[in-house]
Amino acid sequence: MENENRDFVTIRLAGQLCGIPVLEVHDVLSEQSITAVPLAPPAVAGVLNLRGRIVTAINLRKRLGLAEQEADGENMSIVVEYQGEPYSLLIDSVGDVMSFPEDSFERNPVTLESCWQDVSGGIFRLKGELMVILDVEKLLNFDIGQATAA
Amino acid sequence: MDDLLNEFLTETNESIDVVDVELVTLEQDPTNKPILDNIFRLVHTIKGTCGFLGLPRLESVAHAGENVLGKYRDGELVVTSDSVTLILSALDRIKEILAGLEETQEEPQGDDTEIINLLNEVAYGDAVAAVSPVEDAPVEEAIEMPEITQSENVLPGQVSLEELEAAFAAAPGPDDDEEEDVTAEDDKEDILTRIGGVDAIKVIIHLFHNRILGDVSVKTLLDGANTRESKEKMGDFFTAYLAGKPEKAPSVSATFEPFISNGITDKQNDTIRKLLGDVLEEVDLSSLDAEAVLAEYDDVAINIFSETAKKTNTKNKKSDKKAAAANANANAKAGDSSLANQSIRVNVQVLEDLMTMVSELVLTRNQLMQLLRNSNDSAFSIPLQHLSQCTTELQEGVMKTRMQPVGNAWAKLPRIIRDLQLELGKKIDLQMLGADTELDRQVLEMIKDPLTHMVRNSADHGVEMPADRLAAGKKETGVIRLNAFHEGGHIIIEITDDGAGIPVEKLKAKALKNGLATEEELDEMTDNQIQMFVFHAGFSTAEKVTAVSGRGVGMDVVRTNIEKIGGTVDLKSVEGKGTSFSIKIPLTLAIVSALIVKCRDDRFAIPQISVLELVRASKDSEHSIEHINDTPVLRLRDRLLPLIRLDEILGMTAVDKETTEESEKKKDDYIVITQVGSFTFGIVVDKVFDTEEIVVKPVAPILRNLQTFAGNTILGDGKVIMILDPNGIANQISDSVTDTGGFGAEEEKQTRAADEREAILLFRAGENNRRAVPLSLVARLEEIEVETIEISDGKPVVQYRGQLMPLVSLDNTYQLKTEGRQPILVFADGDKSMGIVVDEIIDILEDDINIELSSAIDGQVGTAVINGHATEMIDVAFYIEKAFGTLGSSSTSGHTGEEAKPHILLIDDSKFFLNMIKPLLSAAGYKITAVDSGASALALREQGNDYDIIISDIEMPDMDGFSFAEEVREGGIWQKTPMIALSSHHTPKDFARGREVGFDDYVVKLERDTLMTTIVDQISKKQNAA
Repeated sequence: MENENRDFVTIRLAGQLCGIPVLEVHDVLSEQSITAVPLAPPAVAGVLNLRGRIVTAINLRKRLGLAEQEADGENMSIVVEYQGEPYSLLIDSVGDVMSFPEDSFERNPVTLESCWQDVSGGIFRLKGELMVILDVEKLLNFDIGQATAA
Repeated sequence: MDDLLNEFLTETNESIDVVDVELVTLEQDPTNKPILDNIFRLVHTIKGTCGFLGLPRLESVAHAGENVLGKYRDGELVVTSDSVTLILSALDRIKEILAGLEETQEEPQGDDTEIINLLNEVAYGDAVAAVSPVEDAPVEEAIEMPEITQSENVLPGQVSLEELEAAFAAAPGPDDDEEEDVTAEDDKEDILTRIGGVDAIKVIIHLFHNRILGDVSVKTLLDGANTRESKEKMGDFFTAYLAGKPEKAPSVSATFEPFISNGITDKQNDTIRKLLGDVLEEVDLSSLDAEAVLAEYDDVAINIFSETAKKTNTKNKKSDKKAAAANANANAKAGDSSLANQSIRVNVQVLEDLMTMVSELVLTRNQLMQLLRNSNDSAFSIPLQHLSQCTTELQEGVMKTRMQPVGNAWAKLPRIIRDLQLELGKKIDLQMLGADTELDRQVLEMIKDPLTHMVRNSADHGVEMPADRLAAGKKETGVIRLNAFHEGGHIIIEITDDGAGIPVEKLKAKALKNGLATEEELDEMTDNQIQMFVFHAGFSTAEKVTAVSGRGVGMDVVRTNIEKIGGTVDLKSVEGKGTSFSIKIPLTLAIVSALIVKCRDDRFAIPQISVLELVRASKDSEHSIEHINDTPVLRLRDRLLPLIRLDEILGMTAVDKETTEESEKKKDDYIVITQVGSFTFGIVVDKVFDTEEIVVKPVAPILRNLQTFAGNTILGDGKVIMILDPNGIANQISDSVTDTGGFGAEEEKQTRAADEREAILLFRAGENNRRAVPLSLVARLEEIEVETIEISDGKPVVQYRGQLMPLVSLDNTYQLKTEGRQPILVFADGDKSMGIVVDEIIDILEDDINIELSSAIDGQVGTAVINGHATEMIDVAFYIEKAFGTLGSSSTSGHTGEEAKPHILLIDDSKFFLNMIKPLLSAAGYKITAVDSGASALALREQGNDYDIIISDIEMPDMDGFSFAEEVREGGIWQKTPMIALSSHHTPKDFARGREVGFDDYVVKLERDTLMTTIVDQISKKQNAA
């Protein structure tokens, strides 16, 4: 691996620090009005209008099988693109863009829960805590998610 | 250069497509001169442009093809299917090369010698055969070369360039040998002999022409010239000159006419001279002789220039204004450019972008209009109105640019059919109607492949081998007809063949084998239902897999593709008679008008095209939603309409019951009456807003499997809403009812529902028996207050809609309720109504009705198993008679009973229907003979039975009503008997068809009044005629 730093937008999800590679983040949104889509898979929170584009909102907590968030959260979301379609990932809160040295990277521990294992691209060791890299590809590839659920 | 190449590609591809089609036409009509000329011209242009752009492979293939076409044109070759195949394969090669060119901007590598040789063989036939040894054994033949070139019957100018050059390179013989003697003699008269005589001249001229055509800067000089003619003339010219007899030569202006008319320039002349020199050198002419020939040419060139100058001058005089056009190139192109000016080529992507922008503009306009609506009296209102107007017009304009004739999607079909004919040994006539019907480019692209596939299928599976066709008493040539036309915002494309139809038995076996249905299920299905199996994956009834079809992928993909664009595909097939597919597709996908409705807290859009009307229902208005065992229905103009609640369909019922119940009490319901195919149903929503022009945007892939939604859109206020798909909803609800696998939207299904699966009202009255009556006979369901029931003439009556309505109980022991509300079924007969009192309405369901036990009891048709229970079917006609004394006391009065009762022959395969209508007719004073098939009816004819009138069902197995009528009208004792068709189809087309085959009238099933009056009409007509 190169000895370079990697940049991430850090987010919090149920207390866990996660990171999404900064180049994949198109937008960070504050709370938006989301239109629910009846009959959609549970992880789909609905659809929203982002400057004339229709963006599908994904509830990351549900996607990862976490408990529902308490009502007073910030309800931020991060817009990423997957196979040419924009998706907005609903998260609890957004932190800073941080840069991490490559040598603090670790592979997923084998004991990691499968729902995290499925979407994680590895772990960064930080001072005092760990950051899970969220792999957008895996996150939005619902076939895998459904397979695990089934 | 890129632009040039692109233009060339588009243009050539188009030309090739045209040539494809025209060639097939030509093959059928070999004497059609205009078509041949057109083909020739197109191929020639392709060849010319290739040379211009420096594409040798393309040029040589096109050239070889052109040679054959030239022979056709000159009448030297007869158009045969073999040679056409060869030209077509040359076109295919050109297409291949073009595809490669498009990808890499360069001609792909490849060897075309084989196809070129084949083409040349066709073009020159025996001539090449004679020369062909040259190819096989060049060394030996090279020595004999002089003989060959000198022999008069072989025209060297027509042997391909490569061969000649090779031959000359390998044959130094004659020239070398004779050179010395000839130079020694030094006689002008002998230059001709020295260089090899007349034939050598011909060779030189041939090479010379090829060089000219191969050189970009001078090739235009031969534009518009017949190369062969020009070669001959130049040959004669030089022969005469070199033989020292210039007086025998044709005039300069005639010989070099092309040069002159194309306005040769000094520079071009230099090039020409150089080319000539090259050629002379190449044929190993001594420099002295070459100089002599060139000197002759220089003399001539002076003449050419003077002629050119003259010509140009006269032209200038003729049209001073067009002085610029005197330029050679401009001249050559002037002809086509004036036409071309009226249309331009625009990259599709530009149009797409434009469309997207217009879509956005429409959205923004909507937003502005929304704002305007909310603020009264704004200064913006007038400019905004104008903006709105302009936007609408712009939108229409842009949409128009996207419209293309459907014929574009058909362009390849004649060729495909032609190839198939040869491959399969069938004879097929492809007819294309309505090719200029226009539809959106995007839609067109989407249906191109499905269409091609279906036509292929028709040719492969549908149309039989000629021998089989003859054996089946059909014409040897099968017909495949494509027909496209508009119908109410949709385009219908029909693909009909008169082939073997879809074999039901084979499909059954296959369905069983694939586990798609059980034997019992199959037995219950109609032929059409079974035929619909072809749309399942893995179904192909072709016995062997051919290259054409039969791989089992196809029709399911076709259906998916068509449904993807909001279309439907339907199928009708009669074994032995043929198959007809009908595709219904929307005109455009991009912008639709939609009704915005609200359900719970969310808004949804319903495409306006499927909305018939809106009904507001509340407890106290005329319309109210009633429930039959939790199934909501709506009475609408004396019909019961099935309803679905949008919140239920969308799975929203989970919301706590309390609020729903509460809201149900106070709120009005809005019902959107929706039509899908001929299936009409109501969608119950909470609120209806406006209609809006919306831009349909596809949903994310993860949501794409939700068949309830057709897409989503952004509304004027910036909110995203989902667009409901009535097709999907109809499928969803009909799946649960009929479970036939999702062709719920189609008319066919409705017919079936009416034919086979009757909607039945189940109720309980007296005792504990389940009783049933076809829902279609029930006019209304009512609950009346017991107090309002009065007794008149010893019978219970009730005042209902300003009339007294008798109440009838099913058996005499039945007691009316003494308090509360009494449910009744209201039947209407003309303007009279009758109520049957019942205890309870159980359910409405759709089921087959098979009367298993016919009943001897009056008022009962028999017992059927419905929904797993023995159920008595009541005979409504009996009770109507009971209520009114005699049936038809009103305007429906049938026959007033003179001497003899008219005798009616009734034919219907549905026993149920026979049982239903027989009592009605006999009650109206007719004598009835009922049979259940056309065949049994014809048997009666053979026995010599005569009837006053024949009433026949249309949809029957084996022999349908149309064929029956044809049979009857063909001869025999019934030839003049009035015939009435009964059918659940009631489109004007059906009416017309009925009339055509010999029915005197056409009545929609269950329209009893019409039937009665029609019978009276027809009988009196017959009597008058007699």
